[in-house]
Amino acid sequence: MAATKTILIIDDDKDMVNTTRIILESRNYAVEAAYNGKDGYSMIEKHPPDLILLDVMMSTNTEGFDLAYKLKNSNQYRDIPIIMLTSFPREITLQGPEKFQHILGEDWPVSEFFEKPVDPDELLAVIQDLLVGKP
Amino acid sequence: MSLGHQLIKEQLFFRKELKERVFWFIKLRWIAIAGAALCSYALFFLEPGLPVFPMIILILGVAFYNILFLFTWLRLKSFPSERVRPFEIFAHIQIVFDLVAYLFFIFLTGGIQSPFLIFVIFHIILAGILLSPVSCFIISGLVVLIFAGLMALEHTTGLPRPPGFFQNTLLTGDLEFPGALFVFLILAAFILISAFLTTSIKLSLRVKGRELLKVSKALEISNAKLMTLYEMVKEMGSLYDLQKLMDTATRNSAVITGVKGCSIKLLDEKREKFSSSYGLSEDDIAKEAINSKKEGMAAVMCLPLKVKTLLLGDICFYSEAPLFFDAEDKVFFSLIADLTALGIETINRELNKSWFLAKAAHQLRSPMNAIHTMLDMLQKGFQGPVSEKQKETLNRCNTRIKLLGDMIHDLLKIGMRRTETNHSGVLPVDITLLLQKLTDLYSPRALEKNITLTLQTAADIPRIYADEQLLDDLFSNLISNALKYTPEKGEVRIAVSMEDHCRIKFQISDTGIGIPEEDLPNLFSEFFRSENARAFTENGTGLGLVIVKEALDILKGTMAIESTLGQGTCFTCRFPVGSASRQPPLCR
Repeated sequence: MAATKTILIIDDDKDMVNTTRIILESRNYAVEAAYNGKDGYSMIEKHPPDLILLDVMMSTNTEGFDLAYKLKNSNQYRDIPIIMLTSFPREITLQGPEKFQHILGEDWPVSEFFEKPVDPDELLAVIQDLLVGKP
Repeated sequence: MSLGHQLIKEQLFFRKELKERVFWFIKLRWIAIAGAALCSYALFFLEPGLPVFPMIILILGVAFYNILFLFTWLRLKSFPSERVRPFEIFAHIQIVFDLVAYLFFIFLTGGIQSPFLIFVIFHIILAGILLSPVSCFIISGLVVLIFAGLMALEHTTGLPRPPGFFQNTLLTGDLEFPGALFVFLILAAFILISAFLTTSIKLSLRVKGRELLKVSKALEISNAKLMTLYEMVKEMGSLYDLQKLMDTATRNSAVITGVKGCSIKLLDEKREKFSSSYGLSEDDIAKEAINSKKEGMAAVMCLPLKVKTLLLGDICFYSEAPLFFDAEDKVFFSLIADLTALGIETINRELNKSWFLAKAAHQLRSPMNAIHTMLDMLQKGFQGPVSEKQKETLNRCNTRIKLLGDMIHDLLKIGMRRTETNHSGVLPVDITLLLQKLTDLYSPRALEKNITLTLQTAADIPRIYADEQLLDDLFSNLISNALKYTPEKGEVRIAVSMEDHCRIKFQISDTGIGIPEEDLPNLFSEFFRSENARAFTENGTGLGLVIVKEALDILKGTMAIESTLGQGTCFTCRFPVGSASRQPPLCR
């Protein structure tokens, strides 16, 4: 039997974290949570998860993006898949990082990008896809 | 070299003047010839004793050399204006030939007592206008000497004189010393003073002309500067990206002012870094400081970027020439700084405005999304089994929450649209691709209701310059509406084609519930929903078509609606392929 996969949720909305935790735990994922980017990064340093669910706007407008770019630029953590979730309207997120003035980057730093609310079944399917082949 | 010469050589304006005068002189000579011929003809009858024949010979001689001059002129005409020398020589030759003809004329009309002696003034004036001051004085001196010689010859050798009809009233009687000397001195003074006055006036006019040229050149330069500045402001006005705006400002500012480099630093968290630079080396940009020695920068001027009392940063100009900037420049450079600051502030305000709305949307949606996800989780049994009745209630909650979400989305969308000032697209939009993406996006929803969703695109649809978001709003709201109000197993068809090469025709038809005719006028009013639409689904905000209408208005498009109750609706939108400036020439 494969080892339990750890998923780290980084979101400042506690209800969202708890709900997502219940959904993920129902499929036997080990869930850890942080409520801001800084705490999230220290948790990653302590114990790198298999996947990260990341919110965009927390204490700053682009905290999620900042953390995502930081991880993508580090040799150690660049392979951790990131699913970004945001409550920003589609037209803002569709335009990509250009809309987020402080971020300079060519590529999306995340594997998947969802506008909240996400259908639980869809989220689970995407997570499963991203974790396929991961030891 | 005399001042007059220098002026002639330096100024193209005067070169052109010389070229024109040389020809004017030839034309003037024809008038003189005609006048002389007419007078000779009259005299032939009045005083048969007069030497009319030699006079005619003289007139023919002048006419002959004037023809030669005309041919010479025709050859010289093609010479570039910069080549002054041939025209100068030509002018001298003309003056000398005329002087000889004039002397012969004087001799024929009474020698030193000819009443035409006074006509010498014309000769001096013409020489003054046409030649350099030195040449004019040489000619004048020559004339004085010739007159002295003529007087001496007449006095000593008794040079034969023509009959006395032309007796000069000034110089009547015998020319005896000292009276004759006195008369001669007056004549000489008359000639030389005329030469002096003519050349002085001409020189003074030329100095004024030169000043005028200088002023006009300075005006031309500042006009060119202002035009480039205008283009820069125009370009900046069309941008809504802060970085692009600052890059445009630094690049254009350096070009307009002729400096080597230009940089902008903004007062923000990256205050030590150049926000934008032009003409500076990578090394300097990386070090965030100018190595003036290495770069060969000899002068720098920095001005604040401020709007009223709000300081945004600074703009610096770097020149390789020492003491490049003077007080006069400061006014112009300040103008550039102020315009740049205004551009930056405008973009910042726009960004803040749209960020505020985006954040407001985010904050309003966050709790709703959490509720939605919690309801979903409950409904899908993640926290244990749910009874059918509970499921139904949860379903109702979900529907209402979703409606609230849609309402917030649409309201913010309208708010955002109404506060935005810039809707011009900077990148061409591929409508076919956009519609394909939207069709893919809405396919699952169509599949849920077993609706056939088809997209038909003509091959000749060009890319259009428009705000892609506007097109997205227009299409997605119409597609979503069609799917919403079409019963299961229905059909929704999307078609896009070109109309008269200038307009795009977008058509969406469905086999839906249709719109009652009496509701058509209210269709684009906020929160309006037809009775049959309300009865069919509660899932509607009454704002979708408002968004469609506003997007279409910005796109300068039109809409036609055909609907049959219970059978379906067809929306036809037409909009130009680009904004006014980007329209194909035939469509303007």
